[in-house]
Amino acid sequence: MRLEPLDLWLELPATGPLLPQIQTCLRERLGEAPLALRWAITAAESGGGRRRLRIEAVVLHPDPR
Amino acid sequence: MSATLLPPPLPTLMLIPTGIGCELGGYAGDALPAARLLAAASGCLITHPNVMNGASLYWSDRRIHYVEGWSLSRFAAGELVLRPVPRQRIGLLLDAGIEEGLRHRHLQAADACRASLGLEIGPVVTTDQPLQVQLQQGPSGSSWGTLAHPGALWRAAESLVAAGATALAVVARFPDDIGSDALSAYRQGSGVDALAGAEAVISHLLSSRFGLPCAHAPALAPLPLEPDLDPRAAAEELGHTFLPCVLVGLSRAPSLVAPEAFRPGDLEGDQLGAVVVPAGALGGEAVLAAHARGVPLIVVTSNRSVLSVDAKSLGLGEEAPVLEVASYAEAAGVVLALREGISPAALQRPLRPLSRSAARWS
Repeated sequence: MRLEPLDLWLELPATGPLLPQIQTCLRERLGEAPLALRWAITAAESGGGRRRLRIEAVVLHPDPR
Repeated sequence: MSATLLPPPLPTLMLIPTGIGCELGGYAGDALPAARLLAAASGCLITHPNVMNGASLYWSDRRIHYVEGWSLSRFAAGELVLRPVPRQRIGLLLDAGIEEGLRHRHLQAADACRASLGLEIGPVVTTDQPLQVQLQQGPSGSSWGTLAHPGALWRAAESLVAAGATALAVVARFPDDIGSDALSAYRQGSGVDALAGAEAVISHLLSSRFGLPCAHAPALAPLPLEPDLDPRAAAEELGHTFLPCVLVGLSRAPSLVAPEAFRPGDLEGDQLGAVVVPAGALGGEAVLAAHARGVPLIVVTSNRSVLSVDAKSLGLGEEAPVLEVASYAEAAGVVLALREGISPAALQRPLRPLSRSAARWS
């Protein structure tokens, strides 16, 4: 297994609960096996019906190194 | 006031994310006074090691539940419940990268907690290779970190669990940065705790795998005297290790239980009555999970950090109220109001007539 820092921007609809939207996006970006061990939104903007979020994370990859 | 006149506790979650340079709580257990106040106001406070750990300093209070961040997020999301227990058996996990002298210091700190506090500590396991902690800083300025050998951490924890440990205290050798600008700034009361992000990763890694209470103390070489030391960083200058607070916190940390196993006396996320969090640090999983479940957020505007992720920038507010307060003293007042069933809006002026009130609670 190995750990990898991750920095990404997500663009999401402005309505609806935020957490499930982020979790879905992270799964889409990372795939099923890697786990976002620690993540946080570190910058955010809302407007025009969208939310733009910067996520900083440390991802656990289960593959052997 | 007689205890019998107090209303039932209002389980309250206090979060001060680690490694983001919070003015209160970004140093060495310097959020402890605020935690004690919120515990008194709520009667039941759930918080994390970053709030409670002051190296050689700690505070033990039956009303405060010590839960590591990964598990805290699962609790807030309703994916696990907390079961208060009289004691935990703490397995001590030491990084093979710790030098012999420093290793002895940590073992003696653990022995002191056994002899002087009566804690149940042991077994002790050393990793089969050095963990090699690597410190990083994210684009936001918050501290992050990784391990070169996370598998070694898992293997050591597996042997502790197999030997009967019910909680895990980890000591990893962290890089010394004596003389660095970042360390000088931290000791003088500005900047970000460079170690904190990696510490969180270590405890998240073990909690996510083993489902046990877990916390971490860094092993570091002693620092030269700093005459201009900020009081908030002073707790880390008192001894040879940062371990005692971790052992005390874990000694009565609640066990982590699947929701299906809930029994009376357990704490579950549905019981949460409030979350107290810095106003610019709302982008964490536990905050978002609690807010989505309708738990009011009490956001402390004076506790600034390197982040500015507030309710407005996230577009929060529909699912639950977001109550702005200036200080932790004011937050405690709001928690007490909620506990007593007093609407916080009734404590503010102007109080608008119902006919002109906004739909949103302000």
